[in-house]
Amino acid sequence: MPMRWSAWLAMLVWAFAAGPSHAANSPAGAEQLLHIEPAAIVLEGSEARQRLAVVAMPMTAAGKVDPATPTTDCTLAAKYVSSAPGVASVSADGIVTPHADRTATIEARALGSVARAQVTVDRFAQPRAISFRNQIVPIFSRYGCNSGGCHGKQAGQNGFKLSLLGFDPQFDYGALVKEARGRRVFPAAPEQSLLLLKASASVPHGGGLRIKRDSPEYSLLRRWIEQGALAGSADDPQLMRIKVWPQAAVMARHAQQRVIVRAEYSDGHTRDVTHEAQFKSNAPQVAGVDDEGQVTTDDGTGDTAVMARYLGHVDVCRIMVPLASAGGQWPKLPAGNYVDRLVEAKWKQLKLAPSPLCDDATFLRRVFLDTIGTLPTPEEVREFLADTNPHKRAAWIDRVLARNEYADFWTAKWGELLRNKRRTGREAQRGTYAFHAWIRNAFASNMPYDRFVRGIVAAQGTVDQHPPVIWYREVRNLVHQTNDTAQLFLGTRINCAQCHHHPYEKWSQDDYYQFQAFFARLGRKSGESAAEPAIYVRPDGEVFQPVTRQLMQPRGLDGPPVVVGDDEDRRQKLVDWMAEPSNPMFAAAICNRYWAHFLGRGLVEPLDDMRVTNPPSNPPLMSALAEDLLKHHFDLKHLVRTILNSTTYQLASDPTAANIDDEQNYARAYPRRVMAEVILDAVSQVTGTVENFGGLPKGTRAIQLPDESIGSYFLDVFGRPQRETACECERPREANLAQALHMLNSVELQSKVSAGDGRIAKLMKDKKPSDEVLDELYLAALSRYPRADERRTVLAYVAAQPNPRLAWEDLVWAMVNTKEFLFNH
Amino acid sequence: MLSVLGDRYAKCDGTSRRGFLQAGVLGLTGLTMADVLRSRAAQAASGKPVKDTSVILIWKGGGPSHLDTWDLKPAAPAEFRGDFQPIASSVPGIDVCELLPQSAAQMDKFAIVRSVTHPDAGHESASHYLLTGYKPTNDIPSNEMPSYGSVTAKERGPRRPGLPAYVALPQAPRSSAAAYLGVAYNPFSVGADPSQNNFSVRNLTLPNGLSLSRLDSRRALLKSIDTLRRESDQSGLMEGLDAFTQKAFEMVTSPAAQRAFALDREDAELRDRYGRNKMGQSLLLARRLVEAGVTFVTVDAGGWDTHANNFESLRKKLPEFDQGWGTLMADMAARGLLENTLVLVWGEFGRTPRINTNAGRDHWPGAMSVVLAGGGLQMGQAIGQSDAKAEYPKERPLVPEDILSTMYHVLGIDQEKEYYNDAERPIKILGTGSPIKELVG
Repeated sequence: MPMRWSAWLAMLVWAFAAGPSHAANSPAGAEQLLHIEPAAIVLEGSEARQRLAVVAMPMTAAGKVDPATPTTDCTLAAKYVSSAPGVASVSADGIVTPHADRTATIEARALGSVARAQVTVDRFAQPRAISFRNQIVPIFSRYGCNSGGCHGKQAGQNGFKLSLLGFDPQFDYGALVKEARGRRVFPAAPEQSLLLLKASASVPHGGGLRIKRDSPEYSLLRRWIEQGALAGSADDPQLMRIKVWPQAAVMARHAQQRVIVRAEYSDGHTRDVTHEAQFKSNAPQVAGVDDEGQVTTDDGTGDTAVMARYLGHVDVCRIMVPLASAGGQWPKLPAGNYVDRLVEAKWKQLKLAPSPLCDDATFLRRVFLDTIGTLPTPEEVREFLADTNPHKRAAWIDRVLARNEYADFWTAKWGELLRNKRRTGREAQRGTYAFHAWIRNAFASNMPYDRFVRGIVAAQGTVDQHPPVIWYREVRNLVHQTNDTAQLFLGTRINCAQCHHHPYEKWSQDDYYQFQAFFARLGRKSGESAAEPAIYVRPDGEVFQPVTRQLMQPRGLDGPPVVVGDDEDRRQKLVDWMAEPSNPMFAAAICNRYWAHFLGRGLVEPLDDMRVTNPPSNPPLMSALAEDLLKHHFDLKHLVRTILNSTTYQLASDPTAANIDDEQNYARAYPRRVMAEVILDAVSQVTGTVENFGGLPKGTRAIQLPDESIGSYFLDVFGRPQRETACECERPREANLAQALHMLNSVELQSKVSAGDGRIAKLMKDKKPSDEVLDELYLAALSRYPRADERRTVLAYVAAQPNPRLAWEDLVWAMVNTKEFLFNH
Repeated sequence: MLSVLGDRYAKCDGTSRRGFLQAGVLGLTGLTMADVLRSRAAQAASGKPVKDTSVILIWKGGGPSHLDTWDLKPAAPAEFRGDFQPIASSVPGIDVCELLPQSAAQMDKFAIVRSVTHPDAGHESASHYLLTGYKPTNDIPSNEMPSYGSVTAKERGPRRPGLPAYVALPQAPRSSAAAYLGVAYNPFSVGADPSQNNFSVRNLTLPNGLSLSRLDSRRALLKSIDTLRRESDQSGLMEGLDAFTQKAFEMVTSPAAQRAFALDREDAELRDRYGRNKMGQSLLLARRLVEAGVTFVTVDAGGWDTHANNFESLRKKLPEFDQGWGTLMADMAARGLLENTLVLVWGEFGRTPRINTNAGRDHWPGAMSVVLAGGGLQMGQAIGQSDAKAEYPKERPLVPEDILSTMYHVLGIDQEKEYYNDAERPIKILGTGSPIKELVG
């Protein structure tokens, strides 16, 4: 199956051009291969430059490059010699400069070995006409002139506005050449052009000195003006893509690596644009990068992507920094399933030893909280711990998946993302209840995910006919529809492209508005009341790109143009495209969302910001999960079951010395704060009380609430979202003071703990011995028996208190305030 | 949740006026006092002045009429000028509305800016603009940018140990939250009307059946059984929770925090002078809080959306405000609090100069009046002028950012400092605007 992710697999090994290189012996004695990049260079025009990189790559005994061992970047240490310095010279830091047409050979010596690169200098004295788009605009990006903080912002700066990050060269040309009565560029006396005077700070410039007079950029700008400041023609070679070298690198800690960015044009020529490109690291603690593309590692280990961006094109270099030596004991773990083989492969690359399997009690609590938002009862914990079935974990996973709370819990989660929101309007309630019931039925019947999404995105009719039309109540205009659909179902944030080319992605405004065109013919009337939308398909309605004013045909992101008949609903075609097996985004997005739910961190993080420049931490796992889901026809319970049955999910959260710093490779379970509704239900369950929610039947649980409007200070203070966005980030899991005050010192908690008909009251009435009361309370709150030291501590505490009942209340109060209770660990 | 607050301010658009209780409801920064002191010391060492300044924001949500308060136009045609007459204030040449006599008597202690203008006439978007300094780029369900209260909490922290940095009372108006600065910098919402007899801050005092000694023994028990290894959580959340737990115990047991919120400790006669209503008692509580060491207090004083019966509503509302404001000025001056406290009074816009057919005034951002007091600024002046019908500035046009720039100047916060938003875009604390020279001298 053609998956975009699979491309990343290939990146994990070094891909390098054939070139003269030699095997060398490192001081340590291991075989190394000295490689120079690029090995063949063409320099066109006097301003062209080429950065070189020289790396020593370790070899295996079989004479192959060993992909798991760090390479050594010798670029700055190498000694360079040009065979013809009059043709092309090379600086000590490996930058080649042309001087005359002809060829030369550059030799780099390092670690007692030599690597050579061939240089051809062309058109040194008769350069082609300078291309405004390809050569001038990048200068403005490189020096920050067109950034959002300066001339690129909406209002420009001091009357001079450029397009943000140079995405609209035509606009920039107009601003430079046609505005300000031609003072900005002045071909008759290029040096007197305001552009050069300001940029070089020869006259006062708010942005200070940007481009030095002796730099190649200054010379290029001057020459462009001298040539008549031409706009260039449509025949100018088009920038097709940029390519970062290396595509992937294994680096040691405290090491450096030069990254080179090459631009490829439609006429086949390439150019080193490293100096004009911008760089960003997704995890600077693993590997940082400077303005010139120099990657530096520090103490951190793990992996990250370093992104390069140039004129709306992006590419990444994946950097992996393994632990110096295989740390710690590698525990013996059950075989698990395919997930584990892919996760383990990554651990091995990073030499990251996982924690052992979690114990049975922790497993049961974890599965219950994550899957059905409910604590196991003391009876269930006892039964599970006593179960002698060797496959009892798998058996109980199936048991949990069959529970009614499964639908309650996932309806709560999806109701939030689908913004099933009453606000305060009473007449809006009918709709939220109906939509809530529809979602609940979908999860109770395990509706395939593609059908679920189709039901929502292509919803049509009235609330009575098809409740998901309520989705369109909050997602009410084209902007919401475009952004929410992409973020929620495709894991892609395209909202930047509404106003300008996405800075970290390839999405252009055309992509954005073509996607929006799927919603262009959505019609809306009032249903039963003004608060209820009735959705229908209009016979007309189009979307126009706001800059070019062109009519946009519907097209999925990166998808083929879609043909829609006049009597067809464009949104059906949208879902067709989304759910197609060849679409790499749809299945991956839901897998990543669920993975993040159960493991505490998405393979892509943030979980709904998947893009080339933010690749998954484990690409093979991402594609394997997606393929598996497709194979099982979008069966979400299958996805959940697969994750829950993996050994990876079942690891202990206790870190080992080897994996304590791991935050992205799942070498142990990451504790997560339990969500507001689940904590409240758990507190009620532990104390044996029920929470009253206004207007709802007694005994309604927090995870069963139909919408956001049911008043509960507890839920609000613990971060229940108001359902204002389609982003899971709207639900904060942070700590705050009001939460702490409420848990420690509120009437509500105190009355639950001391309730006359609560759990403690019953235990007291039954006159259970202290040991049994203690077991019962620990099983109820923490889903385990107390350890010996806890038993001693608590029994001593109870014995010292005059009133045992109050002492037990103190214990329950303390238990629900522990991190063990508040976190799923 | 906030239903304890009773009346909510109705606005014309019929959208929810609920106090938009932010999940985080807290103005406690993650900083310990030691951190605050360290950063102060570092500031001092760098030669920057160390300021112990605070801000009280009186947010008149809905948009108060400028023509009927601080910028009367008695010479304008009848369909503009309205029912009220100007009266002289204690500063010669500055007249204010006849319904503001106590304020007029304290005119030397504050300043009016009559020439603030902006283009946004929508409640939600203009509130976001005037509460953050940034126009929202899209629909704004919640803060797209951090409120300046949150910025202040982040930059300055609380001024005394045991107190939160940023408090909203009785509740936080929309757009008061911290956005990408993090929930730790959301305001701590007091959550109750200070004019109620049984006013208290939620969960600050011990519930029935719990004594301080029992709380102490519970705390000891908790400590002995709360043993989950903190290193298992590299996100810092567990440690954060521990810190909040400690802070909560501190507040529950700290005399300073208890005292700051204990309005009943205030002299009864002074409470009367402020007015025994939500406005008056909120202003009094705001004063107590900055006095005790809170850095930023927002008073949600809404209800100014007078589309119909503008004059009738103002006959009720203005005397309450006048009593509270006049007393606040006199009280703060007597306590020497004005030197280091800036008080800012505004809403999201002014109101239409032309009176509508319902004897009301509609939204009007073309001209509005802003009141500032204290902060070591030049007081007793009226800055700028609106035109004859109070439609637009005639002289010295200013924008909301200029007011905020003045505020940051008083706080000693560098408005050029950048924070990264969730899209990793660097955003300045304030994009434009400069301190108003008539005020900063």
